[in-house]
Amino acid sequence: MSLHLQPVRVATSSDDSESQLVFAEGFLVAMLVHLSEQHEDDAGRWFLEAGFGRIPSRDHPTFLDLDEAQTWIRQQLGNAYVS
Amino acid sequence: MNSAPDHSLNMLVRKLESVAPLSHDERQAIQSLPVMTRILQPGQDIVRDGGQPSQCCLVLDGWTARYKLLSEGRRQILSFHIPGDIPDLQSLHLAVMDHSLCSMTVSTVAFIPHESLRDLTARFPGLAAALWRDTLIDAAIFREWMIGIGRKSAHGRIAHLFCEMYLKLHAVGLADHHRMPWPLTQIDIGDALGLSNVHVNRVLQNLRNQKLIILDRRNLTMGDWEGLSEMGEFDPVYLHLERRAAA
Repeated sequence: MSLHLQPVRVATSSDDSESQLVFAEGFLVAMLVHLSEQHEDDAGRWFLEAGFGRIPSRDHPTFLDLDEAQTWIRQQLGNAYVS
Repeated sequence: MNSAPDHSLNMLVRKLESVAPLSHDERQAIQSLPVMTRILQPGQDIVRDGGQPSQCCLVLDGWTARYKLLSEGRRQILSFHIPGDIPDLQSLHLAVMDHSLCSMTVSTVAFIPHESLRDLTARFPGLAAALWRDTLIDAAIFREWMIGIGRKSAHGRIAHLFCEMYLKLHAVGLADHHRMPWPLTQIDIGDALGLSNVHVNRVLQNLRNQKLIILDRRNLTMGDWEGLSEMGEFDPVYLHLERRAAA
């Protein structure tokens, strides 16, 4: 499944503003936020700020980079289709 | 394990007196309970989910927490406990634990045999009533947490937790002047309030920037009690303290 990313700035009331909207087949499925220096050990990671539809955002995982995040998102979408 | 010196039970006297008046004889009876003390490292289980303990655990020093483990290693912390609390008092009447209890910090705990507690409450109905009252307050605290997790913002939940822990610590003489020990990590706060570590971190930075809190090492100072109370929609009535902290 191909994913499409679109950079946006998001208001989080913190230093975290760089964000990517993630679309799957034209549908918005997730919003990833790049964690700023204020997160110390997690700085630089990508945080699942919100997931829509089949993307569970209950546990708000973080990812090393956008590739890892997209792999995870594809897995979630795939799992959902199987189930 | 060692036999505890008598003064270890003063913590229980102090706690119960913060929620109910005690007579001289009742205080004496508590102080003569047989106890075994243990020192625990952080993160040690005291009682496990499914266990059938024959004793209750009185916290003498440090912080403990009730928690439940879910699938994929997820943890929900159900409550935090401080010196004077008996977090597994329910095991006196409910044979099987439906959650676990662990130390959050280096802690000293005193184990009181169920048999001795049963005997104490049979001989002193006033103490049975005080422990019952404490159990009801425990339930009231759960109601407040339910409101927080269900209906409050991340800021509201965290501000409410600060206000609650401050008044509980103040009631047993462990906090004053809006300053309290704060041994919890961001992950602990998140696991208790249903928030991600990232959200907890954002809120704490925000509260710091607004000078609502000052966190230095393992102490937390509340820079604006009124502001935090308002943010957390905190009304201390549910703690039913006999001697309310002058907030």
